[in-house]
This record gives sequence, C-alpha cells and structure tokens, in this order.
Amino acid sequence: MSTGNNAYVPGLEGIIGAQTAIAMVDGANGRLVYQGYVIADLAEEMSFEEVAFLLWEGDLPNHTELDGLTSELGANRDLTKAATTALDALPKDTDPMDVLRSIVSVQGVEHRLAKPTRPLAVHATASFPTILATFHRRQQGLEPIKPRPDLGHAANYLHMMNGKESSPEIVRALNTYLVLLADHGMNASTFTARVIASTESDLTSALVGAIGALKGPAHGGAPSAVIEQLEQIGTPENAERWMRDARKRGVRFMGFGHRVYRVYDPRAKILKAMCERMNPKFYALASAVEEMALTILHEEHPERPQSTNVEFYSAGVLQAIGLPKEFFTPTFATARVAGWSAHVLEQAAHNRIIRPQSEYIGPEPRKPVPLAERG
Amino acid sequence: MAEFSPGLEGVVAAETAVSEVDGANGRLIYRGGYLIEDLVPITTYEEVAYLLWHGELPNEQELDALRQQMAGARKLKDSARKTLTGMEPSTDPMDVLRTVVSAQGASPSLTKPSLEEAVALTAVFPTIVGMAYRRRQGKEPVEPREDLGHAASLLWCLEGQEPDPQKAHLVDTYLVLLADHGLNASTFAARVVASTGSDLTSCVVGAIAALKGPAHGGATLAARNMLDKIGSAENAEKWLNEAHARHERFSGFGHRVYRTYDPRAKILREMAKTAAPELHRTAARTEEVALKILHDAHPDRPNATNVDFWASVVLTGAGIPKELFTTIFATSRVAGWTAHVLESLADLRLIRPASKWVGPQPGKKPAQLAKR
Repeated sequence: MSTGNNAYVPGLEGIIGAQTAIAMVDGANGRLVYQGYVIADLAEEMSFEEVAFLLWEGDLPNHTELDGLTSELGANRDLTKAATTALDALPKDTDPMDVLRSIVSVQGVEHRLAKPTRPLAVHATASFPTILATFHRRQQGLEPIKPRPDLGHAANYLHMMNGKESSPEIVRALNTYLVLLADHGMNASTFTARVIASTESDLTSALVGAIGALKGPAHGGAPSAVIEQLEQIGTPENAERWMRDARKRGVRFMGFGHRVYRVYDPRAKILKAMCERMNPKFYALASAVEEMALTILHEEHPERPQSTNVEFYSAGVLQAIGLPKEFFTPTFATARVAGWSAHVLEQAAHNRIIRPQSEYIGPEPRKPVPLAERG
Repeated sequence: MAEFSPGLEGVVAAETAVSEVDGANGRLIYRGGYLIEDLVPITTYEEVAYLLWHGELPNEQELDALRQQMAGARKLKDSARKTLTGMEPSTDPMDVLRTVVSAQGASPSLTKPSLEEAVALTAVFPTIVGMAYRRRQGKEPVEPREDLGHAASLLWCLEGQEPDPQKAHLVDTYLVLLADHGLNASTFAARVVASTGSDLTSCVVGAIAALKGPAHGGATLAARNMLDKIGSAENAEKWLNEAHARHERFSGFGHRVYRTYDPRAKILREMAKTAAPELHRTAARTEEVALKILHDAHPDRPNATNVDFWASVVLTGAGIPKELFTTIFATSRVAGWTAHVLESLADLRLIRPASKWVGPQPGKKPAQLAKR
C-alpha cells in the first residue's frame, strides 16, 4: 500500500527537519556555529547567560541587556509550591533525569495555554539548577540550599549542589561546559521539542519532551557510561588488552562515534584541553584509551572519520567540577535548555505542524473475527 | 540533500504495521489489517489495545488476562498521588496528565520499554484524568474499581457513581476509534524519544506534550467551542458566513491525509444522532453549511469534516466535560503510542534529521561586552 512517493529514510538521515538560524554543525570542517559565531570564539570568553541571550535573541547582549537577563534568571530560581511538593514526594533513588522531567513539568503547569515566549524560556532555564540541586541534597539527607540571585548561573548551580561557593576556576569550567553544550543544531531532543511545539503546544511541554529524549543513551544518556568504562579499564597500561578483548565480546567504546562530524568535534577539543589542565589523572587514562580506541576503530573501519565525541572528555571535566556522575546528563540538559527553548521560539515563529508519513508494512485488509469465535 | 519540506510533509519517517491511514480511499487500518469500521461493532477498547500491542485480536482467555492486568494497575503510586494533589485544582488537565504520568513512571534506573509497562501506563490514565477533574470540581477523588472495563472505569473515576452502560459504550467506541492513527505528531514525538534508547514513560510524556497542542489533540475542544458559539442549527449559516468573512478557520474541518470522508468521523456522526440529539442538529447543519462555504472558496479541495468535529458531539453525549476532551483523546491514544514505541525497538535507529542553515555566515567575531 503506498503512502507516498518517497522512500523511507531510516533515522531521517540527510532529511531536512527544519530551517534554523540558531546553530549550525559544520561537520566537514569540524565547526559548531551559534548564530554566526564559531564555538571556539565563545567557549572560554562568554558567560552562559550571554550565550543563552545569543541563542534566544540572535546576537550577543550589551551591558544593559545582560544585566537585565542576569537579574531575570536570578529572580526566577525558586520552585513553585507544587514543584516542591512533587520533588519531596519522589523516592530518593529516582533517576535524576526522571526527576527533572517530572519537576520541569510541574514547575511549568499553566491554567490556560500560553504561547512560548522568551520570559518563559528564561524562567524554565533558571529552574533547572534548583531542581537538580534540591534533589541532590535530599538524596544526601541534607537541607536544600536556597538559590542566590547574586550569583551567575554556573556559580549558583554549584553553590546549591555543594552548599558552598566554588573556586573561580571550577565555576569557569562549568560555565564553559554549559556554553559548549547549549545547542547543537537538529539533534534528537531538539527535534522532539520542535515536533511538540509544532502542534502549538506550550514551551514546558516541548522541554519535557526534550528531556525525555535526552535521557536515551544514544543521545545524552552516555557520559556516565564513559566514566564506568574507564573505571573498568583502570590504568593506561591495561587499555590495549582490555579494549581488544572488549571488542571481541562486541562491547561498544563509550564516547566515540557521531553522525555529523567528519573531523574532530570542536567541543571535544576544548574539553580535552580542560581535562588535561583540571583532571590530570582522568586525562592520563582517558587519552591513552582514546588513542587505543581510535586505533582499533580505524583498523576495523578505515573509511570512517576519527570520532571522539563530546561525551568522552565531558565526563572528565564534570568529574573535576565535582558533579556526581548521575548528574552528568541532567547537567547536559541544564545547558541545552537554552537551545531547546530557542528552537521552540523559532519553530513557533514559522510554524507548520510536523507530521511525516509512515510506510505501512502490515497485512492487507481483512475481516476481524468476533471474540467468541477466536481460537 | 533533498529540498526542505516544511512539516516533513510527504517524508516517510517510519515503517509501521501498527496502523495505516489510507487517505485516498478514506480507510483507517489497524494492526492485523482490520478496517476501523469492522472493529467498532465487535471489539472493546481492551481488545483493540491488545491488537495494537500484539498484532492479533485476543481470545477470551487472553482478554481476561489483559483486563485483570489493567484493573490491577489502576492505582497511583504514592509519589504520583502527592504530585497530583500538590497542584492547584485549576491546573490544565493535560498538564496534570503530563506531570503525573511522568511521576508515576519515574524509576531508579533506565528500563527498556516493555509490554507490561505499556499496559500499566494505559491503565492509569483514567485514574489521573478522574482525579484531576474531581479536584477541579472541588470533589473528593474516588478510588479506581477493579471490576469495571476501561471505558466504564473512566466514567466511574469522573463521576463517582455507577456508570450508565450506554454512556460507557459511547466512550468505549470513541476510545477504539482514536487508539491509533499512523504517524501523527504525538506518535512521531514518541518514536523520536524512543529512538534515543529512552524509557517508555519518557516517550509517552513527550506524546502527551505534543497532543496538547491545539493543532493536534486540542482540536476536539475547539470544535465543541465553535458549536457552542453557533448555539443552534438556525444560527449556523449566519455565524459561519460571518466567521468566514473574518477569515476565521472553521474548527473540526480539514485534514492533511484524508481525501474522502474520515471513516472515524462517519461512525461518530451516526452515533451522535442518538448520543446528543440537540447538539447533533446544530452540528449537522453546521457541517452542511461549512462544507458548502469551504467548497465554494476552494472547489479543488476534498470534503473535509474531521474526526474532532463529530467526536466533540459524541463525547458531549457521553457526559464528558469539554475541558477533558484532550485528556480523553490521550487516554485512547496511549495504546497506539506505546505500540509504536514497542514496534520501533525491533530496529532502533536514532531519529536525527538534518537542518538547513538560514542564519548569518559563520566566522563572525564576537565583540567584547564593553564594545557592544
């Protein structure tokens, strides 16, 4: 039965899902571009707040605009009563991504459908660190720390997680991570957000859907797996033996492979340098594992490009920052919410419902048998 | 790379055996190859859910087992219940559903979507919708009963009294009709989430989020609101002509896929006669006039009454308050969403389309803050 003239394209690979001016992944040249700016020019220069403004508004803020956004974020960090109740009710062993999905949902409930707006994007972005840190403190049996409106986004997150201010170097590292991960074109979670927004649903709905997609190990759910694999390998000396053996058992190397980049991921390059500086122990092992992984992968598939992905060195940076590994993917979400909401605003401004076709592969029509006559 | 097709119109994004919308011939085919009009007279919602999940209709034993499994999964977890009662009673029921399904499905570690979870999630929707509604009404919630079928249980959770069999039948038929519909936006959202290897709750929550949009699940309420504004059969012509002159869209008309009368709308239209005779009169006249106006304006376009138009009349006849229409749609469609997710596991591949860059040329140098 024909549903259209076009052939099924698994994964929609190479199919254009949207037009965007927010971020471009130039896979051939290994460039990630936010609104015209190359990521390498932004990563260690700009605050997350400046980059979020860039993604939402199309250009970097001036002083007044940045002050405005900073205080708007600072003023919207508290959770609603309903969100606090729900957060307290979830069992302590809940996956933090499920906590984030549920609490972002309750924090953003509305009484009447509202169109996505920039203020709503700011409110949602402001709430992510509070949700995660409050849950983390509960898990530890500690009192939650109140958000500090006077701290920047990264500094406040760490303050709420740890109950104390972090060193400027650590804050800067988290800030750079948040900038690097804030958007990445049409990945699966962003596309989910745009599909949801395309039905004229609200911003919170789009974000909740995106969190659900980011949770998947094929998308955002793997950085903690990088740590786990490195722990199994143990030492640089053990890398070759472990990895060749792992390959024989069909084990995947965590932190490698990307559909888009044909050269080294520009974010991974920056994170790798940060790792070397901040987490020498991790770096010594990780760089040996990387070298071996790339060698083995090249032996197996010489035609494929080199492929360390952003998750590999993210793990070392987030570890150096002091975040528990269960919070790696939620911290990814804390960065990406800026991009998700920017995409939702863009989708809403030029909307058409995203409703592709399917190809029916079931049987030809036939008659059903009534219940009593079924064998 | 192919040209950008806005809305991915005409792009084939999945292979599926769960259902097929044969728009050219006005047919909706459910898994197994059954036409919707053949299923409606002989199946309940539970049978159709079983069909979508397993690929074949259940025998009596299998159906009994499913009913028991669903009845046993109707209760909310303590955390989900507290989440629900922590929300203001006036919260949008779709937001309650999105949040409480998320809390109900929260777990300590990632699990692969399973049939058992699909059954449990499907079973709990009426409980959540019922509690959300009763809180809106300032009434005490009622506990779900294990002795009722799915549709009757839904009415019980809403009304807290013995369900009227005729109304339960209307609800059941509605649930059968809406249980799946090819690759619509919410089902596609569920499949995109599933493609990352995420869990079933995340897929269903994403689908609820998409269904909430007025361009998708919200259309049934919009159709009823329009009928409310029109008010009577006598007023239909005047109201519609004026609305058309103001370039207002008629709610309940238009569909991207069907080129002939939507087979679900046809069944609901017939049911509406006895389900809600007064509203049926208004709706029938509204349809007649609206189709004429639309045909005069666009003689090239096909006949376009959609399922939302007649669903709004039948649900009204079943005593469903209109602010719950979208949640009842979700209560039906969750069977289809979960069936699609389970199907996609067989050949999971990350759904990650490309995008077309329409922004500034890369390589712009950022100015220092002080110089902006």
